[in-house]
Amino acid sequence: MPITRVEITPLQGDGMRDVRGDVVRRQLKADHGLDVGEVRTICGYLVNGTTPADQIAERIEDLFADPIIESGATNTLLLSTERFSSTPEAAISVGFKPGVTDNPGKAATDGFITLFPEDTSANISTYITYAFYGLPTDCDLGWLAGTLHNGLIERALVATASECASGQWPELNYPTPPEQVFIEPQTINLECDDATLESISTQGLLALNLAEMHAIQAHYRDETVRAQRAAMGMVPDAPTDVELECLAQTWSEHCKHKIFASKIHHVDHETGEDTVIDSLFKTHIMKPTHDMQEDVDWLLSVFHDNSGVIAWDDRWSVCMKAETHNSPSALDPYGGAMTGIVGVNRDILGTGLGARPIANTDVFCFGPPNWEGTLPDNLFHPSRVLRGVHAGVRVGGNESGIPTVNGAIVFDDRYIGKPLVYCGTVGIMPRHLPDGRPSHIKTPVAGDIVYMVGGRVGYDGIHGATFSSLELTEESPSSAVQIGDPITQKKMLDMVLEARDAGLISCITDNGAGGLSSSIGEMAEYTNGCEIDLAKVPLKQAGLSPWEILVSESQERMTIAVRPQDQAAFERLAALHEVEATAVATFTSTGVFHVRYGETTVAHLPIEFLHDGVPQLELESAWTPPQHDPFSPPTQVDHGHLLLRMLQRPNIASKETWVRQYDHEVIAQTAIKPFVGVQRDGPGDAGVIAPIHGDPHGLVISCGIAPRYADIDAGAMAAAAIDEAVRNAVCVGLDVDKMAGLDNFCWPDPIESEKTPDGRFKLAQLVRANRELERVCRAYRLPCVSGKDSMKNDYGKGPDKISIPPTLLFSLFGDQPDVRRSATSDFKQVGDRIYLVGRSKQEMGASELAFMLKETEANSGIGGAVPRLLDPEQQLKTYRALSHTVQQGLVRTAHDCSEGGLAVALAEMCIGGRLGAQVDIDGTGDGDVWGRLWGESLGRIIVAVGEEHNAAFLAAMKGHPLTVLGEVVEAPNLVITDGDEVLVDSPVGSMVDAWKGTLDMTGGVA
Amino acid sequence: MTAKVAVLFGFGINCDHETKAVFELVGAEAERVHVNRFVSGDTDLSAFDILAVPGGFSFGDHLGSGRLLGNRMRFAMREALQRFVEDGKPIIGICNGFQVLVKTGLLPGPESGSPPDFIQRGSLTLNDSGRYEDRWVTLEFDPKSPCIWTKGMTRMECPVRHGEGKYVMPTVEDLDRLAANHQLTVRYADPSSPPGEGITDTPLTYPLSPNGSMRNIAGICDSSGLVFGLMPHPEAIYARWLHPNHTSTAAPSPSGTALDGWEGEGLQLFRNAVEYVNARKS
Repeated sequence: MPITRVEITPLQGDGMRDVRGDVVRRQLKADHGLDVGEVRTICGYLVNGTTPADQIAERIEDLFADPIIESGATNTLLLSTERFSSTPEAAISVGFKPGVTDNPGKAATDGFITLFPEDTSANISTYITYAFYGLPTDCDLGWLAGTLHNGLIERALVATASECASGQWPELNYPTPPEQVFIEPQTINLECDDATLESISTQGLLALNLAEMHAIQAHYRDETVRAQRAAMGMVPDAPTDVELECLAQTWSEHCKHKIFASKIHHVDHETGEDTVIDSLFKTHIMKPTHDMQEDVDWLLSVFHDNSGVIAWDDRWSVCMKAETHNSPSALDPYGGAMTGIVGVNRDILGTGLGARPIANTDVFCFGPPNWEGTLPDNLFHPSRVLRGVHAGVRVGGNESGIPTVNGAIVFDDRYIGKPLVYCGTVGIMPRHLPDGRPSHIKTPVAGDIVYMVGGRVGYDGIHGATFSSLELTEESPSSAVQIGDPITQKKMLDMVLEARDAGLISCITDNGAGGLSSSIGEMAEYTNGCEIDLAKVPLKQAGLSPWEILVSESQERMTIAVRPQDQAAFERLAALHEVEATAVATFTSTGVFHVRYGETTVAHLPIEFLHDGVPQLELESAWTPPQHDPFSPPTQVDHGHLLLRMLQRPNIASKETWVRQYDHEVIAQTAIKPFVGVQRDGPGDAGVIAPIHGDPHGLVISCGIAPRYADIDAGAMAAAAIDEAVRNAVCVGLDVDKMAGLDNFCWPDPIESEKTPDGRFKLAQLVRANRELERVCRAYRLPCVSGKDSMKNDYGKGPDKISIPPTLLFSLFGDQPDVRRSATSDFKQVGDRIYLVGRSKQEMGASELAFMLKETEANSGIGGAVPRLLDPEQQLKTYRALSHTVQQGLVRTAHDCSEGGLAVALAEMCIGGRLGAQVDIDGTGDGDVWGRLWGESLGRIIVAVGEEHNAAFLAAMKGHPLTVLGEVVEAPNLVITDGDEVLVDSPVGSMVDAWKGTLDMTGGVA
Repeated sequence: MTAKVAVLFGFGINCDHETKAVFELVGAEAERVHVNRFVSGDTDLSAFDILAVPGGFSFGDHLGSGRLLGNRMRFAMREALQRFVEDGKPIIGICNGFQVLVKTGLLPGPESGSPPDFIQRGSLTLNDSGRYEDRWVTLEFDPKSPCIWTKGMTRMECPVRHGEGKYVMPTVEDLDRLAANHQLTVRYADPSSPPGEGITDTPLTYPLSPNGSMRNIAGICDSSGLVFGLMPHPEAIYARWLHPNHTSTAAPSPSGTALDGWEGEGLQLFRNAVEYVNARKS
């Protein structure tokens, strides 16, 4: 078919600007200190269809060019026209590689077919051209092009100054995907030696270890199995490629959590303990939650579904899930992160009979954005990872209409090797559907028809699950990266929720890791069997082989089971919403996962073997406490100066530039937002939403994360994360008797091997983290209802290897009885009395201050006592008492004390209220001035109380650790003393500037 | 019989639930209707008294916000929309809905007395900052505007949540014509100005004007005052607990219904239209 090129550029003139070009200029200035001069942009569309170019030209302003602000041309490069009368020093065109999701192209195609309905197979690909005017002559164009595109998914063409002068403009062509070669199903001979078995796994990117390969080999030696296969007309004694791929997906670390399920021999060289743990997950996570389930009636569904579900009131239940998308985000920060957020949205949609996503959370761990050291090969600079991940999550969340209500960004050098991208989603569903069924229980029966709904299956996303179970190397495949398509998903979401309410859904799950293999495979456990026909699956491009269709992780797909009598109504609804829904399978009760391609059986696996056949790993763990130089503070010190430096630290600095770009209040429910205070720039401790319109009943969403504490003890790290999540939520009025948590572990590879010689230590860190998780959660009566782990967060090998710090993200969702009675961190009124709830201890180990001073002071380390939670039972009582004072309306100001301790928390409260405070830290704890001012002891919250509520507040807090710190004052300074000694006297204005400057990174507005 | 409101949804519209809710809170009957139900004729637009086009990201804002949904409406719902306007029924577009109404040509529309001609006269383009932002702004309403939605309203705080909210027109004369008819219904204002004196043609600095709109325009109406669109989200302040500073006021006493003393400033806008329709119907 002929290709018609359409190019569009913004009009020049009064009040009109080329904003896309301006943004490129500002970002290059902010990230690289380089002024590239004026940048102008051209949006290009390559129309592949039967409509003649002259007809397209006639309608150019009906579709491509906005007649008020843009002008365009067909089959003419705009750079060669009078609209670009002067000659640029460089022109760079960037477009997608063949087969990569092109969302603007998809939308343009949809709009094109609205105008030309007869051109049904038309397809549009997009690109953008940047023209540079005033570019410094020494600017390396290859480098410049590199900053504008990611070679893994995009292509770029560059025209130099001399090429521009002679009119040789960059001219990208339509990206035609290479022909896919259909490979007939093969069988793989497993009757071979161990080395060959291992190489079959490695060569095929299967990520199966030798024991697992042996288990598969044994299955095909079983005479009963052989007889069944022979009867089906299959090769009896060897797996098909479809079967082997399916087993690799289902048994992947990503899907089966084999490390958490393993048998661990744990040795503690500190205490002499020598013990065996049979599954960390069952022992330390599942068992405590099931024990708590005995005592409460609101834990509706835990662990087994796509998210954990709790009853919120008589009419509604809520659920939450968090996921990570680390490896894809390392390769393509934008696409990887977007896929992460829209993926976890689908987990909510796939919970029970379908829940509606109503809030997102995003927590990122990156290398420092101002990193000036060298970068290993194939790794992006942290600032680029930050921009890309942020943009992906922003687009994914905003376009889906789901507010981002809570999150965090954490920086540490080691995350250069692998960024962590945690995406969480909260959902809501009626307790019962109109037809009376409880919405949290799936109801499939044999005979139900299984539909694939939403996007099509393509070559993208093959081997994502197994790939994420391998470490990142230079050869990591580009097919593991995808770009999400939020609008296709939004259409699907609208449709699915209508289908749910109409009673048309008997079972639903999302297609994520492992594709149809996992989604249908997991649902088939309910009825004990299924029969799939892969030939019916709609494809993005022809030629995919059966195994590829089965395991492809192409996005925006749900798998939904429907009763045969409901098929017609279901398909009508799909058509209305312009959502593709194709019947691809039937549930059976045969005990077999049966896959056909047309009439040919390509996989025949017993459900039991598929799901329970993976052998348990046996691992070694050994704990020796790591050694660090102790924190030793300088003798000459200006705490006021230290405070300004601390406020500039990326881990503490305001993230407003980034967070403000998330829609945090769509759905009109966000009662406590990420920004609080008079100028709406103070930090919010936790998100609070009132999701039922007109009803102030609230839901709190918070998180805790403290990865650096793991440098001393991963157990302390876990306890700190949990306490921080609870503490944040208490600040806004959480009902501590109705809260649930999510544990998301991201770890470096903890299996001892040649490439991981310290595997025993890393596994011991995991053991300690799990033990603390159990101890604190039991004491807090805080059930974990869902969780996830990502266990291979390393880059490279040998001396260049970078392993992330072991990182637990703990997310919390809980009840908030009345959002009108909540509290925020900003100081409100002069004269309010300031209190510290909790006690400060001498715990400077791994504190933010210790990390800062280590960079500048000789002999200062991060060692010493790390914050510990010694008496969580008592702590819960204090939290309950404090929360009640918030719920009673006595306390309207509360702020969690964490990184940077008391000093930073007070500074943030002054910033939020643009008010000063006079504070004395004498008597706040046992530590020295460093411990009391900068220490990060757990369990502490600063509150401010108005005169009229003071007596009632003191009465309510009787018996709990409480110290008067001082009061909110008129003078615009934060003054902190230790008795008579003035430690800090800082103007609020300087604190605002210090706190807001570091991560602004916008390069300004003008 | 109270007003019946059609709240459009589908293709990436995403403020449909709260838009439905705010109309219900002021006593209307509201229904979410998928665009294709109108296109197919399955649902008849003329059965409704008010049409709301909510915020969102229809078609991902690709090829310009509101453009592709605007095209669907312009080509597939043309007669129905024309009749709706000629019948004197109110239409509101919020955020993406405003962008849709501008790109269909329903806003600002032709000179007074002419039927809708679906010719685009203005546009909403990328914010000068180049960023999508969610931030609270201060709005001031033109008291002389014919807009039936904003009667009696002076000043309001509510959030903007957009990347393409800069209102532009090709010439000064275009803007002058709308100004003369008081169709520049709502503008961004400096909160330090006295209420009632916040309207100015001089561009305000960022972020008082979050996008660099010409003459600080936040929303406009057609010549009849029935069709109205704005970038900010009045439905997002239907209750005072959605205001970012609500914790700086006293918590309520335990008695009283949810919205008692806690109604947000934005609800009046929807009440105005529902009361207008109810008065017309009775």
